[in-house]
Amino acid sequence: MLEILTSLFALSIGAGFIGSISGLGGGVFIVPALVIFAHMPMKVAVGASLISVVATSAGASVAFVRDGWTNLKVAMVLECATVTGAVIGAYLAGVVPTVVLELLFAAMMLQSAYFTITKHGDDILTKGDALAERLELGGEVPDQGGTPIHYEVVKVPQGAALMVVAGLMSGLLGIGSGALKVMAMDYIMHLPLKISSATSNFMIGVTAGAGALVFLARGDVATTIAAPVAIGVTAGALGGSRVLPHLKVESLRIVFVIILVLIATEMGWRALSGI
Amino acid sequence: MPKQEEDRILREWTPILLRSILIAAMIFLVSGLILDYTFAPDYYVDRYREVQQGHLMGREKYALLLGRIRAGNPHAVLTVGLFVLTLVPLARVAFCFILFIRERDYTYVALTAYVLAGLIVGVLVGSVG
Repeated sequence: MLEILTSLFALSIGAGFIGSISGLGGGVFIVPALVIFAHMPMKVAVGASLISVVATSAGASVAFVRDGWTNLKVAMVLECATVTGAVIGAYLAGVVPTVVLELLFAAMMLQSAYFTITKHGDDILTKGDALAERLELGGEVPDQGGTPIHYEVVKVPQGAALMVVAGLMSGLLGIGSGALKVMAMDYIMHLPLKISSATSNFMIGVTAGAGALVFLARGDVATTIAAPVAIGVTAGALGGSRVLPHLKVESLRIVFVIILVLIATEMGWRALSGI
Repeated sequence: MPKQEEDRILREWTPILLRSILIAAMIFLVSGLILDYTFAPDYYVDRYREVQQGHLMGREKYALLLGRIRAGNPHAVLTVGLFVLTLVPLARVAFCFILFIRERDYTYVALTAYVLAGLIVGVLVGSVG
C-alpha cells in the first residue's frame, strides 16, 4: 500500500505544482499521469482529476484572491457559461467512448500548447464596450513598479461562448480548461494576463466542482485513487501559488509547451493504437 | 457598498473560508488513508487493482455513511472528505451570492444564483444519469 500511495503522491504533487504555475490547472497533468503511469482507465482518471482540480483551484486561489488579482465580476459572468457546459460534459462523459475522450484530450493539449507559445504581452484597454461597462467588469492591475493601472473589458458574449466549450471539455475530460479560459479572457476580452490567470484559477474550481458533483453523485469517483491524488495536488498547488509571484512566466512557456506536446502525442497514440 | 470595501471583504474572508473547508477535507482524507493503512492495507491494494480494471463501487448509500464513519470505515471517511472538498466551490459561490445581496447588486445576485443552481443541478443529473 505504501508503494502505491508514494507513487500517487509523487504524481499528484508534481501535477498540482505545474498546474498552478502554468495557470492550466492540475487536471491537464494528472489525467495523463494516472492513465500513463498508474495504468488507470480514462473514466477513473477523469473522476479523480475533477476532484483534484477543485483542490488545485482552491489552493491556488487562496494566494491569488489575497493578492487582489481575481476579478470577481468577470468570474461570475463567465461561470454561468462554464457551469452549464460542465454539467452537460460530465453527463456525456458517462456515455462517450474512451477513444473519443483520449483524442479530445490530445486535441486540448495541443490547443493549450498553441495558446502557451503564441501568447504575447498584455494589451490593456482603457475603454470597454457598452455591455462590459454596464456590468462594471473593469478593474485595476499593478504594473511592474506596483502602480495601479485601470483596465476595461470587451466582447463579453464571445468570451462566454468560448467558456461554454471550456466547461464542456472540463466535464468530459476532467480538466480545468484553464488554457481556453485564459484565452477567452486575454485574447477576446483583453483582460491583463495576471488578472486572467487568477480569475481563471478562481473559475476552474467552480467549473470542475460542477463536473465533480455529477461524477460523485453517479458513483464514478474511486475514493482509493481520488483521496491521495486530492491531497497531493493540493500540496503541489499551494507550493505553486507561493512560487508564482517570483517567476518570470515568459521563461517557463517553452517548458510547458514541450510537456503538453509530449502528453498530446502519448494520449493520441494510445487512442489510435487501442492501448 | 464601494468596490474597495467589496475587495477588502473578498480578500479577507475568501482565504479563511477556503482554508477552513480545505483543512476539514484534508483531515477526513488523511484520516481515511491512515485508517486504511492501519486496519485494511490489503483491502486498499485489492481495491486499487480492481479500479485499474475499471470496477467502481457504484452509487453511495448516503444514509448509511454516518454509521459507517462511526464504525471507522476508511472508505466512508474518504467519501465524506471528497464531498467536503467539493463544498469549496459551492461555498465560494454562496459567499459571493451573500456579498452581492449585501451590495444590492441584483444583476450579480441573479448571475450567482444561476451558478449555484447549476451546481445543484449537477448533483441531480449525476443521481439519475
